[in-house]
Amino acid sequence: MAYSVGQLILIACGYLMFLFLVAWITERGWLPARLVRHPLVYVFSLGVYASAWAVYGTVGYAYQYGYNFLAYFLGISGVFLMAPVLLAPILRLTTTYQLGSLADIFAFRYRSRIAGALTTVMMVIGMLPLLSLQLKAVAESIQILTGEPDPSWVAFWFCLLITLFAILFGARHATARERHEGLVVAIATESLIKVAAFAAVAVLGLYGVFDGPQGLTQWLGQHPEMLSRLYAPLQDGSWHGLIMAFFVSAVVMPHMFYMAFTENLNPRALVSASWGLPLLFLGMALCVPIILWSALASNAPTSPDYFALGVGMATGQGALLGYLAGLAGASGMLIVATLALSGMCLNHLVLPASPLSAAQDLYRNLLWTRRVLIAAILALAYLFYRLAGWSHSSVELGVLTFVAALQFVPGLIGALFWPSGNRNGLFAGMIAGFTLWALALLLPILHAPWQIPRILGLIGLNDVQGVSQWNQVAIASIVFNGVIYAIVSIITPMSRSERTAAEACAVGSLRRPYRWELGAQTVDDFIHALSAPLGPVTAAREVEMALRDLRIKHSETRPYALRRLRDQLETNLSGLLGPSVSHQLMDDNLPYKPEEGESSEDIRFIESRLEQYRDKLSGLAAELDSLRRFHRQTLLELPIGVISLGADGEIIGWNRAMEALTDISDDDTIGSRLDHLPSPWGELLADFSRGETTHNPQRHLQVEGLSRWLSLHKSQIQSQVPNEQAGGQVIVLEDITDLRQMESHLAHNERLASIGRLAAGVAHEIGNPVTAIACLAQNLDGHSDAEEQQLSAAQIMEQTRRITRIVESLVTFSHSGGFRDTIHGPVDLRATVQEAIALLLLDPDHRLQHFDNLCGSGHEVVGDPQRLLQVFVNLLGNAADASDDESPIVIRSEDNGECIAIQVEDHGHGVPAELREALFEPFVTSKPPGRGTGLGLALVYSIIEDHHGAVRVQSPIDGVRGTRFIIELPRYGTTSASLQTE
Amino acid sequence: MYTDRLLIIFILGTYLLSPAIIDWWSEGGRAWYRPYLIWLGLIALSYWIARSRSRDSDGL
Repeated sequence: MAYSVGQLILIACGYLMFLFLVAWITERGWLPARLVRHPLVYVFSLGVYASAWAVYGTVGYAYQYGYNFLAYFLGISGVFLMAPVLLAPILRLTTTYQLGSLADIFAFRYRSRIAGALTTVMMVIGMLPLLSLQLKAVAESIQILTGEPDPSWVAFWFCLLITLFAILFGARHATARERHEGLVVAIATESLIKVAAFAAVAVLGLYGVFDGPQGLTQWLGQHPEMLSRLYAPLQDGSWHGLIMAFFVSAVVMPHMFYMAFTENLNPRALVSASWGLPLLFLGMALCVPIILWSALASNAPTSPDYFALGVGMATGQGALLGYLAGLAGASGMLIVATLALSGMCLNHLVLPASPLSAAQDLYRNLLWTRRVLIAAILALAYLFYRLAGWSHSSVELGVLTFVAALQFVPGLIGALFWPSGNRNGLFAGMIAGFTLWALALLLPILHAPWQIPRILGLIGLNDVQGVSQWNQVAIASIVFNGVIYAIVSIITPMSRSERTAAEACAVGSLRRPYRWELGAQTVDDFIHALSAPLGPVTAAREVEMALRDLRIKHSETRPYALRRLRDQLETNLSGLLGPSVSHQLMDDNLPYKPEEGESSEDIRFIESRLEQYRDKLSGLAAELDSLRRFHRQTLLELPIGVISLGADGEIIGWNRAMEALTDISDDDTIGSRLDHLPSPWGELLADFSRGETTHNPQRHLQVEGLSRWLSLHKSQIQSQVPNEQAGGQVIVLEDITDLRQMESHLAHNERLASIGRLAAGVAHEIGNPVTAIACLAQNLDGHSDAEEQQLSAAQIMEQTRRITRIVESLVTFSHSGGFRDTIHGPVDLRATVQEAIALLLLDPDHRLQHFDNLCGSGHEVVGDPQRLLQVFVNLLGNAADASDDESPIVIRSEDNGECIAIQVEDHGHGVPAELREALFEPFVTSKPPGRGTGLGLALVYSIIEDHHGAVRVQSPIDGVRGTRFIIELPRYGTTSASLQTE
Repeated sequence: MYTDRLLIIFILGTYLLSPAIIDWWSEGGRAWYRPYLIWLGLIALSYWIARSRSRDSDGL
């Protein structure tokens, strides 16, 4: 042979250095993210399944058991062909709850630390034969190529090398939150090299030995026994057992689980893997018979297990290709499996046994513990190799691990598809199956004189002779395991937390979380509580990370958001410490309050989960979801405000009308309590919710200085479960402010109208006698010379004139309302106000009064100029009466687009508070008796109403004195057309 | 969910009916590549399903 051990070890070193370089380049970000996350990289990284057993063992298996070797490749291909059904739920679970291994899934699903620990111990023991097989394969391939008599020391050095690289590759970060992109790309490269080298060996055999496919067909024609040797074992009935073993164990193997789920960089790549991985393994499987026949035809100088090397050796070229394929398969599998197993040991054996210390650096401790575990696992693999591995064939060692992996399958199927399976069933089933495996397969390998206990004869295993009859052991152990799991699960009770976790894991069901109240009330409470076990720095960092994940603010206090924060923290810590330690840590440090009465389902959370799940619903479920959406939308779009409350008073519904009414978004209200709402809504709603009355038809509320009128109703939501307390409350809120204003206007107008009618009648009835009195008084004045009588007559006439003025105002008032029948044009406000001022200045009482007409030129409104003149005369007259001569009366106008606002402002004594509300009512006046009729402002109101305008009063305007009347009238040019046609 | 259950039943049925497939494959004689043809057919079917699935929805 032309190779030395040193050369081959150097090749191994060089190869591993190359892989590390690939990983390093990837982690430095020198490879484009599109390439790193490409589904093809994921597919090739899953090629880690094809270990040295695929390169060497399958050819030996094909030699011994014919076409049965296909089961190894077909089993895993079957799993991936059904990826959307079988693997997608597992991927969903692992990504949602940060579960990094099968032990994590079991510990999470069965809510038991023991389940995690038991799975880890069994997995490590079960994997040792396959790990030792890799060491053996590399050591023996070096032995074959170099003629080295003792391969064990080669195995030792290879083991050390792998320990170093496993640490370099995977144990540089402490948390599973950070995926190892470098590792994924390196393993994908490893698979590419492995498949290429293996295919090259086959091509070399096909063309080097047979001169191409035709030569092969010809050779097969000459040696029909080769084909019959391939077909014959198919008829012995072991095919079903084989395919099942490889099918189910493919998922639970730690290295496959690690690459498929924990290091999944792109969840959608699973879809591509559903056809990509079977295609990759189809290529490898196609090479196996070609290599087998090439080796047989060329009389390869190796055992069938190493025909991949033998072909090259016999033809004199390419032996290194076989070595490289085996080296790639072995190193990839060893690195990934050790990383996966070390994570499991850390989370389920080391951390639960040694409490966390806040004084130390948590991340650093975890990292070093993991490195020690990697070394320990590889040391155990080497030990197994020295004890038994070297003396048994690759086929035997491989089969040992595959049957051990089968023991986790009932538990996993239960976790995904059977919510009634419980931890007692899992323990009983796994222990039974694993014991059977150890008694019938492991012990005969470790200790040759071992005899299978006779009691196993009861289940048909009395004539099993070690690994050669593994098929029977596989079937018996998995049936035994599954049946015991089912029976014990049915007859033993299940805890509530386990039931909740079971619902979270079950395929096709949505987690129905319950709302329990947390002791912690703020985010700082969280940091404080976690500082004890994690240390203040780590606690703050983890809480901030969870806040970022959820996009929640540090100031958050809503119970709903704090519950989500707790869940997220548990999930994140689960990636760091494993689910059982993380769950315990949260229960100890951030417990829920002891339950008072029934807790209610977290409907909001269910809804958000349903939204994420939408694409996956089909059939009846999709129809029901559409119906749910319809009802939800109806409630959301309802034009009156609706609030729904849970049984514990938490707000779980807040519709759009509520948002518009209160100006508070549902994001700020959902999950909080009514008391926490801003004022005045909090007090109003909380009082109404607590009160006994179910209906408050008219509730006045002052919101930001504005008067609001609300109508409130409430009703209890009946529980869906009979004989249970009420499920919550629904409050309906209607804004009736507009209705109230309209009612008030109507009543006012009605009052004015009746007063108008009365005034007309009174004026008519009084007018005649007053005229008569005035005539008589004139007569009296003309006929008498007595000064006293003349004075009396003059006073009578003066009083009758006053009566006449009052009667005339009554008549004017009663005639208002004829506006609608008249045609209006533009009224120039500035000119009208100026005219009113001129009229007022004629009055001797107001001659010295100062008026400032600041109305904008060109401000025109729609109306009757005479009646608007009357409005201004009344308002300015009132203002002049209330003011001193020195203080000016200011009149301004402002264009508001649709209308023009006119302000009449004085600095007089103001309107007394008791009159303000009723100022526009008839016969209400602040003037002394005899000075005013109380009809002026009522007339103003009436005229402005007729002009489709509005008038309001502000008094005092500077806090003590002054009055401001504000009139709004439709602007001419915008609404004149519509008004004129009315 | 119903689709998934039907698929599981279908696969279980195929698994139980596989003796017939194995018989066909064993009678291959020199056409030793027959099992690979079945396998390739399954991959093509899976590819087709994956493509139509990714067209229908964004996720798995």
